[in-house]
Amino acid sequence: MLFHTWTFLLFFAVTIAGFWALRPTRFWLHWILLASAVFYGWWHPYYLLLVFYSTALDYFIVGWMERDTRLVKPGWSLAASVATFVGSVVVGLLAPAGWGGLAVAVVFFAVVLAVGHWRRSRRCWLVVSIINNLSVMFFFKYAAFAIENMNAVLARAGVGLLPSAESLMPPGWEYVLPVGISFYTFQSMSYTIDFYRGNIAREPSFVRFATFVTFFPQLVAGPIERAKNLLPQFSKLPRVTVVDVSDGASLFLVGLFKKVALANYIGPYVDRVYGEAATQGGAALTLATFAFGWQIYFDFSGYTDMARGVARCMGFRLMLNFRNPYLAVNLADFWSRWHISLSTWFRDYLYIPLGGSRVGSLKLWRNLLITFVISGLWHGAAWTFLIWGALHGLGLIANRALEQAAWWRDRCPCMAKRLVVFVFVCFAWVFFRAESLGQAVEILQRIFTTGWTDPQMPLLLLLLVVSIWVYQFIYESPLRAWLEKPLMKVVMAVAMILWLLLFAPGGGEPFIYFQF
Amino acid sequence: MKDETRQSISDSTAVHLSAPQWLCVLGLSLGLAWLLPVVWTAFEVFEPVPHYRVPYELSNDYWLYERWLDQLSPDAIPVVGDSVVWGEYTAHDGTLSRFLGDATGAPFANTGLNGLYPLALWGLIEHHGGALANRRVLLHCNLLWMSDPEADMQIEKEQVFNHPALVPQFAPRIPCYRVGTDIRLGRMLERQLEPLSWVRHLQQTYFDQKSAPEWTLADDGQFPPTFPNTYRLPLGVQGVPLSFESPSAKRGLASERHKSWSANSPGSLNMEWVTPKSSLQWQAFRRLAKRLQGRGSDLLVIVGPLNEHMMNDETREKYIGFRTAVTVWLKAEEIRFIVPGVLPSAEFADASHPLTEGYERLAKRLADEPVFRAWLGQ
Repeated sequence: MLFHTWTFLLFFAVTIAGFWALRPTRFWLHWILLASAVFYGWWHPYYLLLVFYSTALDYFIVGWMERDTRLVKPGWSLAASVATFVGSVVVGLLAPAGWGGLAVAVVFFAVVLAVGHWRRSRRCWLVVSIINNLSVMFFFKYAAFAIENMNAVLARAGVGLLPSAESLMPPGWEYVLPVGISFYTFQSMSYTIDFYRGNIAREPSFVRFATFVTFFPQLVAGPIERAKNLLPQFSKLPRVTVVDVSDGASLFLVGLFKKVALANYIGPYVDRVYGEAATQGGAALTLATFAFGWQIYFDFSGYTDMARGVARCMGFRLMLNFRNPYLAVNLADFWSRWHISLSTWFRDYLYIPLGGSRVGSLKLWRNLLITFVISGLWHGAAWTFLIWGALHGLGLIANRALEQAAWWRDRCPCMAKRLVVFVFVCFAWVFFRAESLGQAVEILQRIFTTGWTDPQMPLLLLLLVVSIWVYQFIYESPLRAWLEKPLMKVVMAVAMILWLLLFAPGGGEPFIYFQF
Repeated sequence: MKDETRQSISDSTAVHLSAPQWLCVLGLSLGLAWLLPVVWTAFEVFEPVPHYRVPYELSNDYWLYERWLDQLSPDAIPVVGDSVVWGEYTAHDGTLSRFLGDATGAPFANTGLNGLYPLALWGLIEHHGGALANRRVLLHCNLLWMSDPEADMQIEKEQVFNHPALVPQFAPRIPCYRVGTDIRLGRMLERQLEPLSWVRHLQQTYFDQKSAPEWTLADDGQFPPTFPNTYRLPLGVQGVPLSFESPSAKRGLASERHKSWSANSPGSLNMEWVTPKSSLQWQAFRRLAKRLQGRGSDLLVIVGPLNEHMMNDETREKYIGFRTAVTVWLKAEEIRFIVPGVLPSAEFADASHPLTEGYERLAKRLADEPVFRAWLGQ
């Protein structure tokens, strides 16, 4: 179910009505949980099994983490784990063709759970949680990529090939990437890690915790919320004010405009040029590359705006995820403005544990590279994503060096810095957008080696994007007050609504970030 | 990197409206959305030529159809139906309504649409046919739509058909109509809300049936493609003419298609026929007739004629059986009707569409019918 569809509008109307009706009772949270399940199950009911697994796992593991500080005797849980383990081995051995993968998965999870119960330490439970969460994500997201690459290596060595990821699924089950798995897995993991670190208390209510993981506005594409921010909001009935509703509606309108009027307009142009990259000239490829930079921004930030708007209309506040990223003056600034919930996640749970910035230069570079390569892989299982992440890591290393040069830091005009960052980010997007590494290299080659041909970018599209860019410049300038005048805001809102009414193309194109 | 988890809305690029500002925005937007189509009619020239019918290219433009009905003079008699009324093989001045006018002197108007069928005709009249209320309406019943389960839309296999926006989206269920809930909801809303219907008119008329952004991206269909609209802005685009039909080689006396059916496919046809009880198209037609009656229309139904020369004995027998059921129902509902005799074989272009001469003959026969004359008040 996509936000910019009539189905969602109907779903949201029913959800809101039920939410208001149940406000006087204690079932309002159950209602949100049910709505979230319907929202997610709309794509594919079996997705619900996975999200339930992640939720239940982290809920119980944190419970066990809390218990195991009191040195309780192993009890039945160890026996149950051992029994599950033995049973799983038998099931795995007896499993008919096609069920082996599931049997192995069950065995694997049973083993790590058994180890957790056996070791009875908080750290062990943390490892169990991380292994479990990442394993599920790995299987659905990276198994095909890993097997494909391993088979390529094995084939050279003349060794037999591994079975495909598809063949590991039970009969009749499709091997598809569950929408939003990377988002909710990270969100659920952050709860466990934060509890382990003593930053938050254990959530005793399963319903509340499940609502935190599956809260429908942000379930499939973020923002990746922290338990510290969102869980307390579910502990008591939110007070929904007129300001909440008007702010929520404002966010939703802007997000809808970004997605439907902008991203969905730019998308076909980029598809056309990148789809025939081998025959396109440098000008078209350059423009399409810049256009993709805007497309992904409008698409993803539009989704986030709508998510925040929907949540806000129900009285919940989700974190900010984008802050005019293409106005960043350096790459570090860019990452403090782009997909903020993910970059802060990696900062808190990977970069800082690796040592962060308070280490020597070499280690710092290592930390940056590791963080950004993993961040690249988080986006998708392909070499192109890995290179995209590595490019940003290298860019940040270069950025730190540049920031130490006085001519860059003090004398280079802000506008020039912004342009450099924008161009760098857009050229890195080539790897993000290309179908393969070969295509990315070909596009970059053609950009620099082919002559001018008419890029055929629609004038209307160009005018739209330029006007949004100008808007953003004004927004971050002293003239911002002018944009915030009531008359100006009303005119802009009416213009957006009329544009959507008059010019919105048909069809509900999915959001780019759903694939992550 | 600072902790951003508690940023307020003012840190994003959102147009941050207060409640009173939202009221202004909604008021202005709704006002403009309803006003624009009205104002548009003052600027967009629509002066239908004699014997006008909605141009083929604009068959999906229901806003134009509604405008055409609104423009009919109070004494005009709309002839409602599918491509048989519209005139699939004939020029705009070779249709049933034109010859009825000639035969009776009454101002008949061609309000058929190409590609319709009873399920869609119901939607068209229900949502865009308000102007048919309280006036004489001649309604054509084309029984060909009930001649087999596929035409009756009963089969489970997905089918692509014309005018999907007009058919019932949820109930009654059409088995071969397999689109998502979202498309169904969108289509329901589009026919309920005039501004959306007007936007569709703009797309149909000015932007090659696309939204304006899609139009700026569209290629010319050639290989290698060129993109003729890349540097054009949506303002000032020359659209499809509304008031007359562009000359077409596909229709009219000079057209290659304008010839008797037997020249193309001699031989008889076996049609399965569905039962009146199970027929979705017949149910839709009944709903349509009742709706028109309910709106105060003085209704006369023309049942057929079909090209019986094309039918084998078994098919003809089933056809007559179905037709009898139709007439029994019309009689029971006190709806006036005429079952015209079959036209000469040479005057049919296919199983249901007459040629120009066929329309002329049919009009003369109808004009001679006492029921018809009584209905006309002559």
